[in-house]
Amino acid sequence: MLARRGVPAIALVTEKFWSQGDFVARSVGLPDVPRVRLPHPVAGSGDDNMTRVATGIVVDLLAAWQRPT
Amino acid sequence: MAAADVNIASEPSEGRLTARDEADALEELHRLECTDGLPVVVPTPERVARMVAATCLDADLTLGNMGPGFGVCSVEKLAIAAVMAGCLPEVMPVVVAATRAVLDPAFDLTEMQATTHCTAPLIIVNGPARELCGGIASGVGALGPGHRANATIGRALRLAMINIGGGRVGVSDMALLGHPGKFTFCLAENEEESPFTPLHVGLGFEKDQSVVTVVGAEPPHSVLGVTDANDQTSADRLLMSLALALANVGTNNASLRGGAAVVVLNPEHADVLAASGHTRASVANAIYERAANSGAALARTAAVPVGDAAREFRCFASPDDVLIMVAGGSGLYSAVMPSWCAGPHRNRAVSVAIDVAPVCELPSRA
Repeated sequence: MLARRGVPAIALVTEKFWSQGDFVARSVGLPDVPRVRLPHPVAGSGDDNMTRVATGIVVDLLAAWQRPT
Repeated sequence: MAAADVNIASEPSEGRLTARDEADALEELHRLECTDGLPVVVPTPERVARMVAATCLDADLTLGNMGPGFGVCSVEKLAIAAVMAGCLPEVMPVVVAATRAVLDPAFDLTEMQATTHCTAPLIIVNGPARELCGGIASGVGALGPGHRANATIGRALRLAMINIGGGRVGVSDMALLGHPGKFTFCLAENEEESPFTPLHVGLGFEKDQSVVTVVGAEPPHSVLGVTDANDQTSADRLLMSLALALANVGTNNASLRGGAAVVVLNPEHADVLAASGHTRASVANAIYERAANSGAALARTAAVPVGDAAREFRCFASPDDVLIMVAGGSGLYSAVMPSWCAGPHRNRAVSVAIDVAPVCELPSRA
């Protein structure tokens, strides 16, 4: 919804929900909405792991933000 | 045979398919993931036209867009789902009303279809439609096998949710385990054996109206209630059992709180409560007051952390969120159906009046 309003937005989607993310993106007419894939699970995986995941996606996040849609 | 019309899928393609015979058509529907895994009745154009006619509505009439795929839910597409489910034409008014109910934005169908929780829409029917629309069972084993109207009404809604709404397991229906009510989940209230006013009257409808109430629910959790006419505490003990079953710490009702949930009293238990002076409203209020956990109790479990050990956390925001109905056979067991409690509207129940006066002439059976 943010993306539809022109607000830069990236969906963070864990790998177990990647197919659902594709489905929802197509359903709402935003098939190319930027998405970054995360390992699964993230929730409840501990502070150390979440820091590792966050650090690991910085490059992907920046690339997604800079990619024209 | 005539062409097999499977023009119900929002994806991957819309259009009419043909097959050499019924067996091939069925296999094609399975291959396209248009079924619930069980055999369906092949929706030939003639069968679909007959089902559309039973609604007295235009085939092209749109009831709404059904999430999460947002397929257009026309009367024709709903009729296709009903044919596939094995419905008789006389149940169509209930199928249409139940579909209108889940398409109400307050029902949050899109989110419900997509959640990892096991929730499924429970269809409750009240009023004359129970008899006029196929004889919807409300007594012994009402949620079990053998009741054609119950089985096919619930299945029609599910097939619509799959093919029009696009709710496909593992892609857009992310329920981690699911539950058997995701095949079919429909019953009527046993108004004749209930000492209370019917559910739909409690929701503001007239007694002679036919009404479908749909609410997202877990499967029935059995609640043992041993009562004794000589024991003045029977009613209170029964209410406590029902409340604690809803408040069990594994439910979202205990952790997320605030959604609607269902209590299905068997007629004997309902009589015990009525004999102690209870009404439908007072039963709902008593369960609302008793369905709670302390922060300390929640902290001992894997429930969502609350951080306030001394405080009591009620499962429901209001007695109105505890739907009381009477169904099933008489005996020791009633049931509760906890719920998901999430989505923008927090698991609301939605009721829609059923138009049970179709006078349209049905085409002859194909």
